[in-house]
Parts: sequence; structure tokens; C-alpha cells
Amino acid sequence: MTQSWKENHALSLIIVGLLAWLVPGGGHLLLNERRRAAVIFVAILLTFLIGLYAGSIGVIDPVGAKPWYAAQVMNSPAVVLLGRWSTTGDYPVYGRPSEIGQIYTSIAGLLNLLCIVNAIYLAHLRGVERAGD
Amino acid sequence: MTACVETLLASFTAPIQIDTTAASMLWLLPLVAAIAVVYKATKVSKIHPWPFIKESSVLFGSIMVFIVVAALVLYLLAWIITEQLPRILGQLVF
Repeated sequence: MTQSWKENHALSLIIVGLLAWLVPGGGHLLLNERRRAAVIFVAILLTFLIGLYAGSIGVIDPVGAKPWYAAQVMNSPAVVLLGRWSTTGDYPVYGRPSEIGQIYTSIAGLLNLLCIVNAIYLAHLRGVERAGD
Repeated sequence: MTACVETLLASFTAPIQIDTTAASMLWLLPLVAAIAVVYKATKVSKIHPWPFIKESSVLFGSIMVFIVVAALVLYLLAWIITEQLPRILGQLVF
């Protein structure tokens, strides 16, 4: 395997990973896994939206709940924007709605992290297969 | 149309009312379903509707059974420590 192949391969893995983070299921869509991408997109988006519906966008708290926020950001970079809105303090949330909202949005983020890793792994396998042909 | 979109967006700016009751545990179900579906989506080689639904349902059921068993074990442990242990220790002392 040449140096240029390795560089191109690494670049393609980075693109797949970034797309998978940008839109849940985006990495799989790039790999032409349409059904898998659709299932991942719908499941993760619904989980995230249920969390926001239960606890409002106040559950995305980059100041007071950093560990939760780290998991929530794995959903998409768009979560950073929601975090900026919520730091204005206009969306206070406490108690059970806060817990359920944080759990849902964070689990959605961690599930997307699993999908990002899976998309990168699939892209790596395909790249190695193509190089072997 | 605009009013509909505004109503939709407004529903994400205020939390809903969820009481601290046993019924609030039902919030667990959609989360477990999402975990089962996404996990299986990354594991199966090809996604065909019926086998995929079947495998996701089996995983959903397995997680629920494990959660119920874990809850029963923890309940039993709490019952022994808070109810039975003080009685036994009381009999030993006096």
C-alpha cells in the first residue's frame, strides 16, 4: 500500500466521521447504506426530540451540566447552537423533566457516537477491500 | 402555517409536567426501544424489515427482562438491609 493510498484512506475516514456527526446516519448514507442511514437518522432524531420535548432546550446546559453536554454534542454540531440559546437562562428546567430530558438527549448522542464509529469502521473495511482487489 | 410552526417550536421551550410517580418509569420504554433499534442497525449485515424488527424486539425484550431482574434484586437487597438486618442485629444485642 502506497503513502498516497494511506493519505486518501485517512481523509475518506475523516469525511465519513464528520458527515456522521453532522447528520445522524450521514456517514452510512455516504457509504450507500440507505436503509441503515434512514433507521439511524429516525431513531436518533426521535430520541433527541423526545428529550427536548420533555425537558425543553434548557436540558442542554454547557455551563452547569458539562458531562451531559459532552454526550449531547455527539448528536450534531447543531447542539452547540442550542447550548448557546439555553445559556441565556430563559429556559429553566428542574426535577424529573430535567432528568428525563438530559437522559434522552445524552443517550441519543452516545448512540450517534456508536454510529459514527461504525460508519468509520465500515469505510475502513471497504477501503482495505478495494486496495486488496 | 406560521402559527402551526410557532406552536411546534414553542413546545420545545417549556418542559412538560412529569410527576415523580411509578408511572414516570414508563419513560424508560421509548429509550430502550431506541437503543435496541440503533444497536441492531449497526450490527446486522443487511437490513430487511421483518428480520430487523424481530431482532430489535428480541433485544428490547432482553433489556427489559434484565432491568426488571436488576430492580427485583436491588429491591430485595434494600428490604434485607432496611427491614431484616436491624431485626436480626437487635436480637443478637439484646
